[in-house]
Amino acid sequence: MIFDLSVITDNWSYLLFGRTVDGEIGGLLLTLLMSLSAGMLALIFGILAAVISWRFQGWTRRVLYSGAEFIRSIPLILVIFWLYFLLPRFLGRNISGVTTVILSIAWFSAASVMHATLSGIEALSFGQVEAGLASGMSYWQVLRHILLPQAVPNLIPSYIGLFVALIKDTSLALVVNVPELTTVANQVNSRTQIYPAEIFLFIGVIYFVICTVLSELPRLLVKRTHQHLKFANSI
Amino acid sequence: MNSFHFDWGGVLTGSPAAWLVAGLVNTILITVTGTFVASLLAIVLLLGRTSSAHYARYLAQAIVMGFRNTPLLVQLFFWYFAVYPALPEWFRDWVIADHWFSPLPFGFRCISPEFVCACLGLSWFTGAFLAEELRAGLKAVPLAQSEAALTQGFSHWKTFRYILLPQAMRNAWQPIVGQYLNLMKLSSLASSIGFAEIIYSTREIESFNAHAIEAYAVGTLLYLILGLLMGQLFVSFGPGQIKRNNVVARVALSGFLHRLRFLS
Repeated sequence: MIFDLSVITDNWSYLLFGRTVDGEIGGLLLTLLMSLSAGMLALIFGILAAVISWRFQGWTRRVLYSGAEFIRSIPLILVIFWLYFLLPRFLGRNISGVTTVILSIAWFSAASVMHATLSGIEALSFGQVEAGLASGMSYWQVLRHILLPQAVPNLIPSYIGLFVALIKDTSLALVVNVPELTTVANQVNSRTQIYPAEIFLFIGVIYFVICTVLSELPRLLVKRTHQHLKFANSI
Repeated sequence: MNSFHFDWGGVLTGSPAAWLVAGLVNTILITVTGTFVASLLAIVLLLGRTSSAHYARYLAQAIVMGFRNTPLLVQLFFWYFAVYPALPEWFRDWVIADHWFSPLPFGFRCISPEFVCACLGLSWFTGAFLAEELRAGLKAVPLAQSEAALTQGFSHWKTFRYILLPQAMRNAWQPIVGQYLNLMKLSSLASSIGFAEIIYSTREIESFNAHAIEAYAVGTLLYLILGLLMGQLFVSFGPGQIKRNNVVARVALSGFLHRLRFLS
């Protein structure tokens, strides 16, 4: 195997930015934008679903739970295909591939966010809810001022883990031909034919750096909090 | 909103039906093979990560991190486009040659370059995740267990094989089953390197007679059923929680037999 990095130096701007200068965002930039928007959506809707199923136990919760179970037990690729075919039919107009993929990944990850958040909330002792209610707070106030402020900091590591998985999932946009990092790398590979190792190692390293930095973050944060605590205790 | 008109005949008869069956067979085949190879790799990686040799530990950790922190799709492309052509020629000849076990019903073959690459990709990816789950399970096993085993004259390997690994597996069984189910779902990505599993068949039907919705419905159903069956299988054949009575009964029985031997 000849290792020739000229294919990277010739194509790096296409790999990183796609045809962004022509107005079509692509490459690594698109991967990051899709990850961020899908991540925000998943976080918002996941926490919302967790809050709703915490407050309304019974049918509401069961419906939310089975929706999450369903989406988690089929491959993400199928979720993308379903939305790709059904959304335009239901909305009556064309939906861009990018939007389809963002919505699919957001839905897929929101299910995991919901599960994580709910178990985070329910890990707190129920006495706190009772104490809050007994003090005259509403359910919403208990959640807003007592439960979420305690649960969310504990959940940050698992949110970050889910976000790392989400970044890797954006590579599936390839199946509907959205020009993100994996798709453009595949295009470059089909065009040049003889440098697959260089191309896929290069984008592998890009994903690796992003995902490793992110997944090491919680450990660093925890270490810093511990140092703060140690400092606070020593005073 | 357009109204839907379903035509299941276009999916469940003739060659579309044959493709779906072949897709299902291939998905099951890759899941079984992948599960097996991934488990072996996970044990090797776990041995590396818990080894006393520095280089083995760092190597295993680097491998685990590398496979966990890159998308499976990129890995599959890497195996398919970069690694496979670099494999020895006799192996590639063997893969594409006709064997007694290669023909599947409906003119499909069970071993192909795509199958080999999908198997490599899925096994390494899942193996890295499994190794981490097992390591977490191993951490929960008290140190006294291996000390006790070593003082009983168990070798390091036997301590690992008979004392530590079974307990690690029991501790981490839930997430391990999750990883196996994930392997089954992720095998759908192998369609992008041309492996003829369920998703590949549904796309083939889509371009054959445009019955996309019906094909995806059947595919979804197949994945749901496979997932349910696999989950049931792994939970019922997996190591359950230790039944306290069972252990007590076994200890009592062995003590009784022991005494009998002394009496006779």
